[in-house]
Amino acid sequence: MTTALATAIIVVALLIAVYALVTALRGRAMGLPDLIGLGVLEVLLIAQAVVGFVKLSGDEGPKHPATFIGYLLAVLVIPVAGAAWGLLERTRWGSAVLVVAGVAVAVMIVRMNQLWSGSA
Amino acid sequence: MPEPDTGVTGEPAAARPGGERVRTGSGPGRLLVAVYAIFALAAGARAGVQIGTKFSDAPLAYSLSAFAAAVYVLATVALARGGRTSFRVAVTACSVELAGVLAIGTLSLVDRAAFPDATVWSGYGEGYGFVPLVLPVVGLLWLRRTARRARTGG
Repeated sequence: MTTALATAIIVVALLIAVYALVTALRGRAMGLPDLIGLGVLEVLLIAQAVVGFVKLSGDEGPKHPATFIGYLLAVLVIPVAGAAWGLLERTRWGSAVLVVAGVAVAVMIVRMNQLWSGSA
Repeated sequence: MPEPDTGVTGEPAAARPGGERVRTGSGPGRLLVAVYAIFALAAGARAGVQIGTKFSDAPLAYSLSAFAAAVYVLATVALARGGRTSFRVAVTACSVELAGVLAIGTLSLVDRAAFPDATVWSGYGEGYGFVPLVLPVVGLLWLRRTARRARTGG
């Protein structure tokens, strides 16, 4: 994992969560800014997956990489699922789902950092 | 973006009661389903890795992880689908979850030796910010609310 990329992902994910929270509190459905944010997040996550696999094949990272690889791939699903949900549920609750998605991605990245450095 | 019709209560027009179908997956239910989906994913992935790589280390804990994952998947699908049968399945799944987190949470504190590695339910779900403890309670409350609304028709 690269710290810069991980930090960028966490920042974008939390920005999406905060923006979506404000949207939800105002009783609005998800809008274009959310979709753009999720798109950026997905691109960053794909970049991370590529970098992660390259580094893993170069003998870096955790000794037992199975869990890490699981996170690496599972996290890719979340922005896509969040966007689909937000488009499907055109109410404040669609925005609320994005809050969950953003926080979940941030938490997963923190957890992946721990796995990578072997501190947990 | 067009403004959706959210009505005075903030509920979507389509989710307003009146239909026969018990709608557990729309409105606030979406949020619940989303959190359940993430837990199904997390618990499932964790159980898969644990069982696939080191099952003999802690067979009890890993079997429980797999069981917990299965219950989360069941609850997610049942809540998302709605309808009468799904409603019963969702109530059962949430109840099993609540019983599981309480039983395993207590057991994991009393008999640490039996759980050399953590499950989602260990320590009442402390590894997951106690969400596994809160989730089934919220789930059951939500199911009760939707059932009540469906019965009274408004």
